[in-house]
Amino acid sequence: MVSVINTVDTSHEDMIHDAQMDYYGTRLATCSSDRSVKIFDVRNGGQILIADLRGHEGPVWQVAWAHPMYGNILASCSYDRKVIIWKEENGTWEKTHEHTGHDSSVNSVCWAPHDYGLILACGSSDGAISLLTYTGEGQWEVKKINNAHTIGCNAVSWAPAVVPGSLIDQPSGQKPNYIKKFASGGCDNLIKLWKEEEDGQWKEEQKLEAHSDWVRDVAWAPSIGLPTSTIASCSQDGRVFIWTCDDTSGNTWSPKLLHKFNDVVWHVSWSITANILAVSGGDNKVTLWKESVDGQWVCISDVNKGQGSVSASVTEGQQNE
Amino acid sequence: MREVLIPGVNSKKKQMCFDWGPGEMLVCETSFNKKEESETKPGCPFIYIIRKDIDVYSQILRKLFNESHGIFVGLQRIEEELTGKSRKAQLVRVSKNYRSVIRACMEEMHQVAIAAKDPAIGRQFSSQVSILSAMELIWNLCEILFIEVAPAGALLLHLLDWVRLHVCEVDSLLADVLGSENPSKHDSFWKLVTILVLQGRLDEARQMLSKEADASPSSAGMCRILGDLMRTMPVLSPGNTQTLTELELKWQHWHEECERHLQDSTFASSPHLESLCKIMLGDEAALLEQKELLNNWYHFLVTRLLYSHPTVKPIDLHLYAQSSLDLFLGGESSPEPLDNILLAAFEFDIHQVIKECSIALSNWWFVAHLTDLLDHCKLLQSHNLYFGSNMREFLLLEYASGLFAHHSLWQLGVDYFDYCPELGRVSLELHIERIPLSTEQKALKVLRICEQRQMTEQVRSICKILAMNAVRNNRLGSALSWSIRAKDAAFATLVSDRFLKDYCERGSFSDLDLIDNLGPAMMLSDRLTFLGKYREFHRFYGEKRLTDAASLLLSLMTSQIAPRSFWVILLIDALPLLEEKEVVFSAEQTYELMRCLEDFASRRPVWREPGVQRIQEDVENTKLEMLRLALARNLGRAIIKEGSLEGS
Repeated sequence: MVSVINTVDTSHEDMIHDAQMDYYGTRLATCSSDRSVKIFDVRNGGQILIADLRGHEGPVWQVAWAHPMYGNILASCSYDRKVIIWKEENGTWEKTHEHTGHDSSVNSVCWAPHDYGLILACGSSDGAISLLTYTGEGQWEVKKINNAHTIGCNAVSWAPAVVPGSLIDQPSGQKPNYIKKFASGGCDNLIKLWKEEEDGQWKEEQKLEAHSDWVRDVAWAPSIGLPTSTIASCSQDGRVFIWTCDDTSGNTWSPKLLHKFNDVVWHVSWSITANILAVSGGDNKVTLWKESVDGQWVCISDVNKGQGSVSASVTEGQQNE
Repeated sequence: MREVLIPGVNSKKKQMCFDWGPGEMLVCETSFNKKEESETKPGCPFIYIIRKDIDVYSQILRKLFNESHGIFVGLQRIEEELTGKSRKAQLVRVSKNYRSVIRACMEEMHQVAIAAKDPAIGRQFSSQVSILSAMELIWNLCEILFIEVAPAGALLLHLLDWVRLHVCEVDSLLADVLGSENPSKHDSFWKLVTILVLQGRLDEARQMLSKEADASPSSAGMCRILGDLMRTMPVLSPGNTQTLTELELKWQHWHEECERHLQDSTFASSPHLESLCKIMLGDEAALLEQKELLNNWYHFLVTRLLYSHPTVKPIDLHLYAQSSLDLFLGGESSPEPLDNILLAAFEFDIHQVIKECSIALSNWWFVAHLTDLLDHCKLLQSHNLYFGSNMREFLLLEYASGLFAHHSLWQLGVDYFDYCPELGRVSLELHIERIPLSTEQKALKVLRICEQRQMTEQVRSICKILAMNAVRNNRLGSALSWSIRAKDAAFATLVSDRFLKDYCERGSFSDLDLIDNLGPAMMLSDRLTFLGKYREFHRFYGEKRLTDAASLLLSLMTSQIAPRSFWVILLIDALPLLEEKEVVFSAEQTYELMRCLEDFASRRPVWREPGVQRIQEDVENTKLEMLRLALARNLGRAIIKEGSLEGS
């Protein structure tokens, strides 16, 4: 049973494009066509505006929280071709870095697993993907993958950090050799998997082809200790695919069609334990999917926008502690 | 598939955007078509936070969660000791424990429901009470059928108990009627007697009849006959040595005797008594006439079994159950979820019971605990699911995940994950990192849990978060102790550098206690070792252990663990030692020092801001000159001292 437990009035003056909870579920960041990024404290069912960040000159499409070990850091990307990184210092939020290396709208930002350091991937309508790595003392190193997707890149998503080879505890002080990978989805109908080579350059490792129209979102599922990798992708063609790869037997990815919706599917997202996939399908609905015993994906719930009235299921939100 | 409606602006153009939080989901209205020009109408500025398992927020249910947690853990722990005959008894005891916890919760909620000032809230609590009552009803039946595994004969007795437990009006009615002046003239007298008979409480029914006999002599004879029939009905009592076949035989005779009385119209003049006799004969029509008193089909079922098939075998139960349900509903209404669950139980279809309960109930508490208990009874075959290698684990994982949404109940969740051998550990790892570390106590609690389970990655990650927080708030000592706990050498180096930088700027150390008592932790990183040793040098100097101080200082310089930026300080620290009256540095040590000095002078690090550099350099140069002088002087004194000692 699903119920609304809190409603946050963001007071955005225009369309909201993204809302993200921080790592602990205590803060909420939102961004909007009104060009602002707002941060709220939402503990205990409340809402307190902590920051109203201005800096973008166009609609802001996405926000992403970095891992708390790096402090309170938020990234935002916008139609104005910029990626801005905001940081909380001494209780106030400020712009700490601005990345202007793209020629077109930046559509998606995603932080890498914290084990790799502080790295941000950005996908843009100019077809390029840029990777910003924090090298210390306010400096960010930029690596750009040009023409990652023809026409444009719509989404980027990092693979979870898995130490290759044996899982023996590394001696302290030594950094384990992670193989950094991420997935991107673009207007060339493709999902591409990228891998960092030993020389630090990013190379296209694989192309996943199955969609017949622009790929709108990709989401790499969190690792639950099984030796398989899973990616969800959704597209303008109304299809959502679940791609799986058996890590032990090599690099072949096989797609399974989750569902064919009647409309564009814009967004897919995994719950933190990777057992539920949320999909925004057509008809103003968000559907939740779970894999059942026989490997088939089953829709377990619908979250639907009401047409005016409050429904009966939304009553327990006021239960007092 | 359930649909949840989110209230919002009536609009067909907008879509819903969403994302997962650690335990919840955010939804808001949006338009995914990325165009620069937005719609003329502003969108809905609301973001909805939605979540499953909101029951964790209920105060009263929390007791249920807490106490059942204790029972659960106890059960897992005694698993190895559960052997032989006592095993079943122990498991039944555990089951009864769970049920008493549910009942206690029900009782409390009932009190709150009555006391509620707002009728809407009162209704809410009342409906919760009904849900809990249904849960207990189901659990009780499962206990009888699956855990107790009552055989024919005993089965009926258990079922009778089961029904009696869930129909409480009888006792209050009994008290009412008995308490009145003329019990047999009470309005509800016959209703009471009928219920007592329906529930198989024949002794009490007989008592009632005797009151009627006293009050109304005309029916005394009939009452006595019926009373006798009641008294002589053969029942299997616990500890009775008669076999099932004997019982059946006796019962058959008794049944025939009742039948005869009916044929002889013994009770013809009293419709009430005749109806009672028919009930005792298990006459379906007569029973169905009492639908209102029976209240539900399973009561009907048990009464029917009592008076027509008292030695029913467990495997035959489902036939009677299905027909009882059909007869009782009479085609007027369809079965409700509860009915289906009970039917599935009568069919001994455990999986169906669990599946239906999972769908019908709002949180995983019930199915998780019941399934776990049934698993201990070795009743579940392994059922390969994607998440959790079997159903028990799957349900426990779901339940425990829900607990993590709560700021203190998450601790219970830890234990549940512990007892999930396949995915418990990784689930715990994913969840425990997300607990907001609002206080130091909470952080320590979380860390202890991780350390106990050798979750080194999580320990490292959490300590790093805390250490970074401390550094940002300038609590260097705290930052250092967190990085030591995390065994994070890189971070320890970073913090040590900060300490040293502070020292350069202020001339003193903060958090001396911590640095002085590093012990073996000093070895974590070179920089940290340097920090510790440098402090030791200060201590030696303070305690006037000058030769020790001198040797230490020299080794700090020659061992290469001193950061380049610190060399000038080290060199200058040598000055006071050189100016002591006695000779502290030996000749050889002095040569070393001189070498270090020239080494340093030739490779001066440029780490200060350009503007200040000139002045700093000048000050430095002066000091270094003084040092050269002091070293030369010391060399002379040392040579002489060493030469004289040798000579004499």
